[in-house]
Amino acid sequence: MNKQPFHTQYLLFAIYTVCYLLRSTPLFAQNPKDCQCFLRGVVKDRDSGQPIAGAVLQLKENQRFVVADTNGRYTIDKLCQGKYTLECRIVGYKTTTVRVSLEHNAAEENFDLNEEEIHLKDVEITARKVETPLSQSTVSLQGQVLDQTRGQTLGEALTKITGVTMLQTGASIAKPVIHGLHSNRVLIMNNGVRQEGQQWGSEHAPEIDPFVAKRLTVVKGAAGVRYGSDAVGGVILVEPDELPTSGPLKGELNAVGFSNGRQGVGSGLLEGGAGKYKGFGWRLQGTLKDGGNVAAPAYSLANTGVREQNFSAAAGYRNAQRGAEVFYSQFTTKLGIFAGSHIGNVSDLLAVLQNGEPFIKADFYRQIERPYQDITHNLLKVKAFSKIGTNQKLTFTFGRQYNYRAEYDLHGPQAATRPGLLFKITTLTNDLVYDHKPIANKITGQIGLSGLYQFNSSEGRPLIPDFEQKNIGIFVIERYVRPRWEWEAGLRYDRRRLDVYRFVGRVLDPRRHDFSNFSGTAGAVYNASQRLLARFNFGTAWRPPNVNELYSNGVHHGAATFEEGDNTLQPETAFNTMVSVEYNAPRFRAEVSLYRNLIDNFMYAKPQPEPILTIRGAFPYFKYVQTRATFTGFDVSTDWDIVAKLKHSTKLSYLRAYDLGADNFLVLIPANRVENTLRGDLGTLAGSKNTFISVGHLWVAQQRRVPPNSDFAPPPPAYHLWTLQMGGTFGQVSKQKLDWGITVQNALNTSYRDYLDRFRYFALEQGRNVSLRLKWTF
Amino acid sequence: MNRFNFLLLISLTSALFFQACIKTNPAPADENELITTVKLKFTDGGSVQTFQWQDLDGDGGKAPTIQNVALKINKTYKLDIELLDESKTPAKDITSEVREEQDEHLLVFTPTPSNLLTYTYGDKDSKNFPIGLTGNVKTTAAGTGTLRVVLRHQPPVNGMAQKNGTPIPGSSDVDVTFNIAVTN
Repeated sequence: MNKQPFHTQYLLFAIYTVCYLLRSTPLFAQNPKDCQCFLRGVVKDRDSGQPIAGAVLQLKENQRFVVADTNGRYTIDKLCQGKYTLECRIVGYKTTTVRVSLEHNAAEENFDLNEEEIHLKDVEITARKVETPLSQSTVSLQGQVLDQTRGQTLGEALTKITGVTMLQTGASIAKPVIHGLHSNRVLIMNNGVRQEGQQWGSEHAPEIDPFVAKRLTVVKGAAGVRYGSDAVGGVILVEPDELPTSGPLKGELNAVGFSNGRQGVGSGLLEGGAGKYKGFGWRLQGTLKDGGNVAAPAYSLANTGVREQNFSAAAGYRNAQRGAEVFYSQFTTKLGIFAGSHIGNVSDLLAVLQNGEPFIKADFYRQIERPYQDITHNLLKVKAFSKIGTNQKLTFTFGRQYNYRAEYDLHGPQAATRPGLLFKITTLTNDLVYDHKPIANKITGQIGLSGLYQFNSSEGRPLIPDFEQKNIGIFVIERYVRPRWEWEAGLRYDRRRLDVYRFVGRVLDPRRHDFSNFSGTAGAVYNASQRLLARFNFGTAWRPPNVNELYSNGVHHGAATFEEGDNTLQPETAFNTMVSVEYNAPRFRAEVSLYRNLIDNFMYAKPQPEPILTIRGAFPYFKYVQTRATFTGFDVSTDWDIVAKLKHSTKLSYLRAYDLGADNFLVLIPANRVENTLRGDLGTLAGSKNTFISVGHLWVAQQRRVPPNSDFAPPPPAYHLWTLQMGGTFGQVSKQKLDWGITVQNALNTSYRDYLDRFRYFALEQGRNVSLRLKWTF
Repeated sequence: MNRFNFLLLISLTSALFFQACIKTNPAPADENELITTVKLKFTDGGSVQTFQWQDLDGDGGKAPTIQNVALKINKTYKLDIELLDESKTPAKDITSEVREEQDEHLLVFTPTPSNLLTYTYGDKDSKNFPIGLTGNVKTTAAGTGTLRVVLRHQPPVNGMAQKNGTPIPGSSDVDVTFNIAVTN
C-alpha cells in the first residue's frame, strides 16, 4: 500500500525560446534562412521554483538533444528558422512536448533589441510528475472529457477509457472493471489513500464523489510494487488539483440534470489563498444528488432512486522546502435497490426469468423504500513533505477512513428499524516515501514503507465474521532515462496478518492467517522515432484471500446462491505482461496495447453439483476454490482528424479469459466491444465558442465464452447504443466562463441487457436519458 | 536526519493512538430475520398432530430435519401454522409477527399430486385476502406425495399495496416441502 509521494504535484517547464538575433541586424535581415537561431530555457518546478537537473531535451525534427545542466538550463544552438517539436523527458516525470516556432518578424529585425525584447514567446507546459509506472499503459480523464461524465458515478465515468467496463447492480450501482477484473482486484487510490470499504462485494460501488477529482487515471495491468496488494487488474487514481498557494477566490459550480430518473446533481467548489500569507491555501467542495425511479424503454424500475450528499475540505501550506496539508471528505448515499430484483429463492428467480419482465411495474416515484443501502465513507488525510538538500525528499501520508454500510432488506417484519446487514470498517494507512539522491546523476528512485491497520465489524445476518488486519510493505523503484530508452524496475515485500473473530454458535473461535509476498516489476519505454513510442512492462501483484472468500457461509441475497468460503485459500498472484505502442502523427494518433495476465491461485466461487436446502428453499451451492487463470486481450484506440473540423475516434477492447485448471472459460467476463465517435467542430455558434457536436455508436458483442450450465440464463444478446452530444463555452477562458453540454444516452431508446449487470435477469437496462450540464467557472 | 526521525515518530504514534480506538469487541452475529422452524398443527376433533421442518443452525451447516406428515383418509383437519426462530432462547414467535403484518403476507399450500388433499383458507386480512395461518385440509383417498408450504412476503412498493391474493407478488420467506402419506 503505497502512496504516491508527489501525488498531485505538478511540474512546470518554463521554456523560453529565443531566436537570438546577431547585433549585425541588417545583414541578418537579408538572410532569413540563416541558421543562427538557438533555443534555450530552464526547467523549473512550479511549486518550488527550483530548477530540475538532468532533463533530456530533444528536437524531434532533427533528433538533436541536450541535457539540462545542474541549474536546469539548456541550450540548443545553430538552428535554422522553422517550426520545431521540443520534447522534454525527465526521470520520474511524464514526457512533455511543446511546439516552438523559431521565426523573427520585421519589427525585431529593424531594431537593435536587447534580449528581453526579442524573445519570441514564453512557452508554458505543465507536466506531471509520474506517479504511475512509466512503462505501463495509463489513461487519464480530465478537462472536457471528464466534464462530460459529470453527474455519473465513478464506475460509469471510467467506461470512457478503453479496456475499462463496469459491473452493475441495476442502474445505480456500478463498479469499474479493468481488463475483466474488478472488486478486490482493482485498487482505487482516493486522493493518494487506498480506498478501503467492503469492496469485495459486487453490489458495493466505490464510495467516492467523482466531483472531488480533477483527473481520473487508470493504470492498466498488475501494479503491485507501487501500490501494494489488490492492484491485480489495475489501479484507479482519483486526483484533485494541488491546493493553491496564493491568489484570489476562485471556484466552479456544476449543475447536471438527467431526464431519466429526473435526477438532479449540483456541485460547487471554492478555493483560494490566504491573502498576504503566501503558501497557504484552502478548498471547499460539496455535491448533492437526488434522483427517482429510472425507466427502461417499456417500464419504470421501482425503487431505483438515489440520494447523495458529499463534501470535502482541504487546507495546507507549502513552500519550496516543505509543506503539509489536511484533507477531509465525507461521502453519504442512500441507494434504492430495484424492487423487482428482490427474490427469496431460486423459484422466485426462475419465475421472473420466465415472465421476461419484472412483476412489479411502477411509475415515477422519488421516495426510496426497502430494500436500500445506506452508506457513509469518511476520509481524513494528512500529508507532509520535506526536502533534504536539493534532490532528496521525504513524504509522509497518514489516512484514516471509516466506512459504514447498512443494507436494509425487504425481508421480515422485524427489520423495521435495523438493517439486515451492517458493516463498519475503519482503516488506518501510513506511508513514508523517500526520494533518494540520484545515483551517478542518472538513476533516480524512491524507497517506501507503508503500513495498514484495519478493523471490520459486522452486525445482522451472518455473512462474514469480524476481522482485524495488519499489513506492512516496503518497496523500492528505480528509474534510468536515456534519450531513446527509459528503464524502470522495482521490488516490494509485503506481510499481512489477518485475525478473524469467528463465532461457532455463540462461542468465539478466533483464527489467524499470516501471508507474505514479493512483488516485482520491470519495464522500458522505447522512443523509436518522433512518432512512435513503445512500452514494455512485466509486473506482478498479489492479493491475499479476503475474509468472505475464507469464511463466508450463507445465502447471498439477490444472487440466490449459497456461498461457502474455504479457510485454506492461499494468496493469488498476477503475472502481467504488457506491450503498448503509441503512434502520434499530426492528424492520426493510435495506441495499441496487448496484455496477458496470468493469475496463479485465482479465487472464484465454483458451482457445486448438489444444492443447499434452507427454509427458503433450495439454493445453488458455490464454494470458493482456486485455479490458474489467464486474461489475454488487447485495447486499441485511435484518433483521426479527417479534415480540420471533423474527427473520428475508435475504442476497441477484446478480452479472452480462461480457467486453465478447469480447462474452461470463466464466468462474468465483459464482452468485447467497439465504440466509434464522429465529432464535428462548429467553432463559434451563437456566442458559444468551441462548439461541437458528436455522434457515438457502441457495439457490445454477446459473451459467448461462458462455461456451460454456469448461469440461470444465457448471456444476453449483442447490442448497439447511440449517443449524441453537443457542447461549448460561453465567456473568456481565462476569466469567467460557462461550459454547457447536452448528452443523449441510448438515443434510440434501445431495449437491451448487459451481461455484467447482476440485474440482467430481472429487467432491461435504462432507456433514453437526456442530460444537460452547466459548469460555471469563476 | 532529524526531520526524518520526527516524521517517523508522528507516523508511529498516530498509528498506535488511532489503533487503540478502533477495535471493538467482536460479537456473534445476531440475525433478526431468521426462521428456523415451520410447524404444521393438524387438529381433528380432540386429537392434535404436529409435524415440523427444523433447521436450528440456519442456512448451511447441519442439514434440516423434516418430519413426515401422516394423515387419515376422508377427514377434515384444521391446519394451524406456527413459525419460530428457535436459535434464540427463548424461541422467538414469528407467527404473531406475520399476523400483525397480515396485509403483506400470504401462505401458499401446494399438494403434489394435486388431488392428495384440498386446502381451504380459514382466515382473511383487512382487505379480505387470505393469509393461511389457519385453514382446513380435506383428505379423500389414500396416497403419498408432498405438501409444499410457501410464505410469500408481499410488502407495498412505492406506496402501492402488492398483496392481491395470488402468490405472484413479492418474494418467499419460507419455502419448505413435507413428505405426506394419507392412509386408511
